[in-house]
Amino acid sequence: MSRILIVEDEEHIADGLRYNLIAEGHEATVASDGESALDLLLGQRQPFDAILLDVMLPGKDGFAVASELRAAGQYVPILMLTARDSAEDVLRGFEAGADDYLPKPFELSILIARVHGLLRRLRWSGQDLAAGGGAAPDAPARDVYAFAGRTLDFGAMEVRVRDKDAHRLTVMECDLLRYLVKNAGQPVSRRAILQEVWGLHEGVDTRAIDNFIVRLRRYIEDRPASPKFLQTVRGVGYRFVPQP
Amino acid sequence: MTRRQRAIAFFVTLCVLLVAAAVALIVGWVIINAERATPLVFGIISFALIIAGLIVYTVFLVLEIKRNEDHDTFINAVTHELKTPIASMRLYLQTLQSRDVDDVRRREFYEIMLADADRLHHTVEQVLKAGASGQKAKIVERAPVDLAPLVAECVRLARVRHHLSTDAIALEAHDDHTLIVKGDVEDLRTVVTNLLDNAVKYSGDRVKVTVSVAAPAPNTVWVRVQDQGVGIPRKQLKRIFNRFYRVQARAIKQVKGTGLGLYIVRSIAKSHGGRVFAQSEGEGHGATFTLELPRLAS
Repeated sequence: MSRILIVEDEEHIADGLRYNLIAEGHEATVASDGESALDLLLGQRQPFDAILLDVMLPGKDGFAVASELRAAGQYVPILMLTARDSAEDVLRGFEAGADDYLPKPFELSILIARVHGLLRRLRWSGQDLAAGGGAAPDAPARDVYAFAGRTLDFGAMEVRVRDKDAHRLTVMECDLLRYLVKNAGQPVSRRAILQEVWGLHEGVDTRAIDNFIVRLRRYIEDRPASPKFLQTVRGVGYRFVPQP
Repeated sequence: MTRRQRAIAFFVTLCVLLVAAAVALIVGWVIINAERATPLVFGIISFALIIAGLIVYTVFLVLEIKRNEDHDTFINAVTHELKTPIASMRLYLQTLQSRDVDDVRRREFYEIMLADADRLHHTVEQVLKAGASGQKAKIVERAPVDLAPLVAECVRLARVRHHLSTDAIALEAHDDHTLIVKGDVEDLRTVVTNLLDNAVKYSGDRVKVTVSVAAPAPNTVWVRVQDQGVGIPRKQLKRIFNRFYRVQARAIKQVKGTGLGLYIVRSIAKSHGGRVFAQSEGEGHGATFTLELPRLAS
């Protein structure tokens, strides 16, 4: 059983989601605006395992809730639900720290599958931390990539530089890193990242990716302003170089 | 500064600079042609026209930028208002389809879906009516309408729709069948309903609405809807009747809507030879809407 927080101001949708999550055997709590959601989450009386977050909320919107939560060092998986499904909005959600998104109206079965996906990832990474690296029974073979004293652990969704504290990654950051590593040494275009990593095909300002790269550089580079591993390829995009 | 404010600031600055340049040119022209009357007069008139043109152009540009922004807000609001009830109905239908729902819950779900269908219907109606009232050539069936019973009926329906007591929406009307106007019954019902729905919507949890129908002068009829709700900032009292416009105030951000309701009210009031106006002491002090229509001589 997992504890899930539903942040949704539309009473009907919130109740319908709660009914379904309870039917799936979870515990579900509803918060009807951003402020009360943050109170519940940052108050930490009862930690949640996942959040269903609507974007258009009265007062603080979903983007603000997600970024405040991440800024406070909370990495609860977030699934964003939004009636606005333009690529810009989706990217904005990922930038704010969402792990996944679903446009409204959504398919119930897909929503449940996505929630379970997020919970599964949380379980792998959680057990990783608890057991000092021992994988959970249902986790895939350890998915780790090491280079120049850095360890990217895709299963646990974290980056470790030498022996310093690990940085937690969102699902989106994880997917982007994995794609860059897969194409190590070759330049990848911004458009390819949008299409192949995030499945966005719309004509969207491809510069939106740059913010993600800036964040990844902060995690893995010694001097993010003059990057060695995540290089910019002028006019094309980016290149990951494990051994500069 | 938002993108709109930046754009406006840019064009206003540009206009000021160009006007300053034109004024400098006029001064130069006057100095050069000080003794020749014809080119002097001709030059001054031309430069004055250029300056006037610049100002008119900038004013239109700024208005257009503002309209564009209202339009964007409208698209966002309508997207939300259309997609939310659809998302809700789909969610409940898929729940019913994929799970064993007990009878009590099942009935509850039907109620919720009906309410969603009504909300969707209401939004679609508002959009269609706003479109229709933009067309001037509309042929209206005009007939004498007794306003007091019409308002009473709207009030009764509003109480049912919003689950409110008789106290929450009080009606003051003298039903002596003398408050007759010439108009379209459906349109007039829309006007009163929109005003009532707004009064309830912007009252939050404490709904205290007073509705009155009266004749302030022998040849006019008033329908007045007064609430104790969130109120309207004074500067925006006129703009609220514009199409797509929604009040910019913190307390109101929570209330959802398309920005069409009052536009429809104003269009219908105008097409009936009347007018509508709003009064408010500002945010937090409630608002009063008055619909004024010409009275039909009995």
